[in-house]
Amino acid sequence: MSARARLVDEPIDVTAAERAVAAPGCGAVLLFLGTVRDHHRGRAVKLLTYNAYRPMALKVLERITAELEAEEAGLRVAIVHRLGDVPVGEASVVIAVASPHRQAAYEASRLALERLKREVPIWKREHYDDGDVAWREEEPLGSGTSKQTLA
Amino acid sequence: MRVVVVAFATASDVLGEDGVEVDLPEGSRVRDLGAALMERHPKLKPMWGRLAVAVDGELVGGSHPLEEGVEVALLPPVSGGSGA
Repeated sequence: MSARARLVDEPIDVTAAERAVAAPGCGAVLLFLGTVRDHHRGRAVKLLTYNAYRPMALKVLERITAELEAEEAGLRVAIVHRLGDVPVGEASVVIAVASPHRQAAYEASRLALERLKREVPIWKREHYDDGDVAWREEEPLGSGTSKQTLA
Repeated sequence: MRVVVVAFATASDVLGEDGVEVDLPEGSRVRDLGAALMERHPKLKPMWGRLAVAVDGELVGGSHPLEEGVEVALLPPVSGGSGA
């Protein structure tokens, strides 16, 4: 099990994510923070609540980090996702990538977020300023991978 | 046989957040569980086609055979990460 895939219930320690991947052979460390935005389609958002199917979410995060690392020699990837209430402006996800060279780090960081959004069973619930609450359901789980049908 | 069903996001609005136990005939498959659940919870019907299903944490299709004691998760389209 990789300690570099984590689900946390408190603010994400960005420096710890950086330390988890930094290595003497790496000339690049790239940090991506996905933060909670204060609006969605014209509605003011005050808070997001993230909910996960934890055992599967952790397993899939570990698979993503391992597969990205296997693609490129020397590449190291950490993905930390926060669960529970996340206020506007704070990070819901941090992706840290260390690589011998920067190009591979940019590519892996982008891929890590795209795979996370399609493959990891995590959902967000938006709390609007007017008191309304709604689940956001966006990407069919597993889309872009070997999709199983329920039919 | 008995299986445990856990549900998330809008599916948990229908089934509850604590999960439910469902008793099924031997030899039942995921689609049979779906039929049993939809009979008990009609609000699942319009949702079912959008759900992914995992058995013990791995995505499966409707023909996947179920076994005693497995955990079946109903997984609506996901929205992890951020808006970025």
